[in-house]
Amino acid sequence: MSNANYRKRKLKDNLSSYAFLLPWLVGFFALTVYPMIYSLYLSFTQYSITAPPIWVGLQNYRVMFFGTERIPRDERFLNSLAVTFRFVFISVPLKLAFALLVAMIMNRKLRLIGLYRAVYYIPTLLGGSVAIAVLWRRLFAGDGIINIILRGIGWANPPSWISNPDYALSTLIILAVWQFGSPMIIFLAGLQNIPKEYYEASSIDGAGRVRQFFSITLPGLSPIILFNFIMQMTSGFQAFTQAFIISGGNGGPLDSTMFYSLYLYLKGWGFSEMGYASAMAWVLLVIIASLTAIAFKVSGGLVSYGSGE
Amino acid sequence: MNRKARSIMSKLLTNIVIIVIGFAMLYPVLWLFSASFKVPNTIFGDAGLIPKAFTWDNYAKGWKGIGIYSFGTFFKNSFVISLLCVAANALFCSLTAYAFARLDFVGKKVWFAVMLVTMMLPDHVTTIPRYVLFNTFGWINTFLPFVVPRILATDAFFIFLLVQFIRGLPRELDESAVMDGCNKLTVYWRILMPLTVPALITTVLFTFLWTWDDFFNQLLYLTRPELFTVPLGLRLFLDSSGISSWGSLFAMSVLSLIPCFVLFLSLQKYFVRGIATTGIKG
Amino acid sequence: MKKMCLFLLVLAMSVSMVFAAGASEAQKGETAAKTLRWAYWGGEARIARSADAVKLFEAATPGVKVNMEPSGGAGDHFVKVDTQVAAGAGPDIVQMGGNFKDYIPGGPKGHLALDLMPYVQSGIIDISVIDPGAIAYATVDGALYGLSTGANMPALVYNKSLIERVGAPLPPVSSTYEEFRTYLIALQAKLPAGVYAMQDIGLMASNSTPFGYWTGYNGTPLYVASENATKVTVEAAKKYLDLFSDYRALGVIPPADVAASYAETNADSSMLVAGKAAIGFLWTNQLGGYQAAMTDEIDLIEFPGAAQRNALWQTQSQLYTINKDSPNKELAAKFINFLVNSPDAARVLGTDRGNSVSSTARAAGAASPTDQKALAYMAVAGPHTSPEGDHVPNDTELNSTLYLIYQKVAFGRISTQQGAQEIVDLLNRLIAK
Repeated sequence: MSNANYRKRKLKDNLSSYAFLLPWLVGFFALTVYPMIYSLYLSFTQYSITAPPIWVGLQNYRVMFFGTERIPRDERFLNSLAVTFRFVFISVPLKLAFALLVAMIMNRKLRLIGLYRAVYYIPTLLGGSVAIAVLWRRLFAGDGIINIILRGIGWANPPSWISNPDYALSTLIILAVWQFGSPMIIFLAGLQNIPKEYYEASSIDGAGRVRQFFSITLPGLSPIILFNFIMQMTSGFQAFTQAFIISGGNGGPLDSTMFYSLYLYLKGWGFSEMGYASAMAWVLLVIIASLTAIAFKVSGGLVSYGSGE
Repeated sequence: MNRKARSIMSKLLTNIVIIVIGFAMLYPVLWLFSASFKVPNTIFGDAGLIPKAFTWDNYAKGWKGIGIYSFGTFFKNSFVISLLCVAANALFCSLTAYAFARLDFVGKKVWFAVMLVTMMLPDHVTTIPRYVLFNTFGWINTFLPFVVPRILATDAFFIFLLVQFIRGLPRELDESAVMDGCNKLTVYWRILMPLTVPALITTVLFTFLWTWDDFFNQLLYLTRPELFTVPLGLRLFLDSSGISSWGSLFAMSVLSLIPCFVLFLSLQKYFVRGIATTGIKG
Repeated sequence: MKKMCLFLLVLAMSVSMVFAAGASEAQKGETAAKTLRWAYWGGEARIARSADAVKLFEAATPGVKVNMEPSGGAGDHFVKVDTQVAAGAGPDIVQMGGNFKDYIPGGPKGHLALDLMPYVQSGIIDISVIDPGAIAYATVDGALYGLSTGANMPALVYNKSLIERVGAPLPPVSSTYEEFRTYLIALQAKLPAGVYAMQDIGLMASNSTPFGYWTGYNGTPLYVASENATKVTVEAAKKYLDLFSDYRALGVIPPADVAASYAETNADSSMLVAGKAAIGFLWTNQLGGYQAAMTDEIDLIEFPGAAQRNALWQTQSQLYTINKDSPNKELAAKFINFLVNSPDAARVLGTDRGNSVSSTARAAGAASPTDQKALAYMAVAGPHTSPEGDHVPNDTELNSTLYLIYQKVAFGRISTQQGAQEIVDLLNRLIAK
């Protein structure tokens, strides 16, 4: 084949490959890149939707973290960051721990395994729904079902969970952890991929259950743990619906359940400060990206990718 | 006790533990289910799972929706959107995944890395501008804002899933097909897709679930009641200047969970296989 | 190659089908005989009533269709409307509340509400039968921006049956703050544990109304538009917070966490309806809805101090406004005239959006005993009113942040002095915005 022919062929090859990629490319530029640039621009403006955007430079960012002469520091923003961090870094580890625990319990040839998996997945299926959020609010109210049960077993005066600023967030954490079905199924699949020979060999060498867990199971699952952690963390930071419904949209009491997304929605659509909301979106992006990068860096030493790929 | 007996005991114990925990997990859902059959103003007084005052009314009343638009309309809308998105995702994410997994082209590594990054992008960064864009096209109150992004393969998660899965299939299949005279498209359609069924089904299942529950975007783009979906319809029951209809809300919630549940039950064995062989492990 | 073409063809067809499906939805709205889009907020009951009114109008006006676009609450409603308007696709008729001034020329949200005077002059809208107060309310610089859906007054509501059951005297319709305090203490003594004399009125999501009442009563109004400033001082705000701290210490209002568990957005997140509070806050147009949710009988009394200083005010519950960019302005004007002035419309709409301000429609609209109670209250409280104070701009943010500050005080996180300072700072910031 001559050079010219080769190049022509290579070009044709490239073009037809790109044809397959075309939808994604269009989507990427039109629906991801362009909006990102536009929202970055908006983050430097004051934009009330009904009037054109007004350029204000770094003002939005300054108000968030430092305050300016005219506008005091946005304490509610910092609070929403704190609340969201608390939520993510308590609920995600708990969720993964439960998921792993139950996956390990279920990792046997059980006849009803299909049914069990489905049953444990149901909370995840329903989790985002309005009905569950409403239900949750009722369950944990001062005179709600949970307290009726608690009083029944002897706790005389249980607090009103939902409306107490010290406990309201916990009800949301419980709601999140309740939905551990999704990482659980992924762990189950991962567990089934660890060769049984490892366990057999190690028990011949006298290793107990605990030792096996730390030397075989955890390392074998480590890429999945990382994957699950990153996915759960990312979606945790963006949690919205449950906080919205359970707090009635006001992030109360005392802003104790004012998730970052909720405050963003309130600022953008409630108070008509779309520029500020866009700035918040970008701050969130930076936070998630940094944490993910850190997670990857830290895991470099901890995650083993098994033999071959 | 001999080994066999111990093994049976242990299996029994395992089953029991799983069932007990499972019951505790399901309690809220069971409560929801039983509440849908309770007479409305007894719902919050009655903490038990067996309704003290039983009624079928909630379902009939709830179905009527808000008088003019019944839940039949809401369900229809939810189904239409979800199914369109499922079809779009299945087709276009797999096409894109095929390109990344099997084809060679200039810049492939760069685009792949870029695609991975978009998987972790928070939605908020694109929400407002996308709204403005879709509105300029006149797509508000249509199903286009939901379907077009799927056609343009913006759900990177599924692309990633499919790529990993396809990578697990031996290249020899492609090569022998090419030698038999297939072009790229036929290899994709005739050879690879049938083998990618578990991952495709996973895509179908999750696209359906996530679209069905996508409250926020439905809230933004659907403002005419005849286009409302089930989550929006449920929220109408939770108004802020009158009386909420708890019985109807719970009854319709139960109904709204059924399609997802049925779908999951019927597809779950594929989906577990899909996740397992997708090589997320490495 | 042929297969590739076939594939692309199928692709193109399916894509165009999707587009067509979407487009036909939009088209139906345009080419059908004249269609009006009416955006409002409300629950099942209100939607049903509004649908009946729509049916009447369509029957009387052939070739016209009205599409309702209800939202669950006012918050949602304005979010949707703002977004639609920004995108050039706003509804024809937009319901507004006291915040309509945000939407007039020069207002913070941009000009949306159309001046209705031309339609009055051409006779499409008849304002001669409408209460002058209702017209004045919606008029700014000679332009009429909306028609009132009905008159409304803030009030305190009490659970008559509950109070009679515990053998306590019924509350006085008019009282001073001292008398009211004495009454609350006496009432609380008779109530069982877990039931409070009054709900914590400051701890409601829409708390700017009671706060607005207090500041008016105190002679330090929330906002004076002509000066674009607030007259509220730190001392005034502190007195307000202290008032409720006092009630809380006396035990006549619930502690903060109990109060916070009632969202007080509608009848079933209401402490009053749940039977845990004997007195609560209500607008007169909500009386019907709340009564329907209770077996106990409820009735209305004035805020303390109202009679002394004419501190109450009569307002218009909501306004029907027309989108200045509507393609069907005249038709929209006909529709809102129908809603306000027609006895048939009033009959189906009832007092759900306030007591009709139109003399032609009023009788038809106030049929039930509950409606009569509201009218009776307004007759008593009417003389104890002054013109309504100006609304602080950025109402949503005011409610949200005021709620937070009040909670901080109620939960004991900050002192009333600090809280008062924060309130004043908030007011100044919102006005400067």
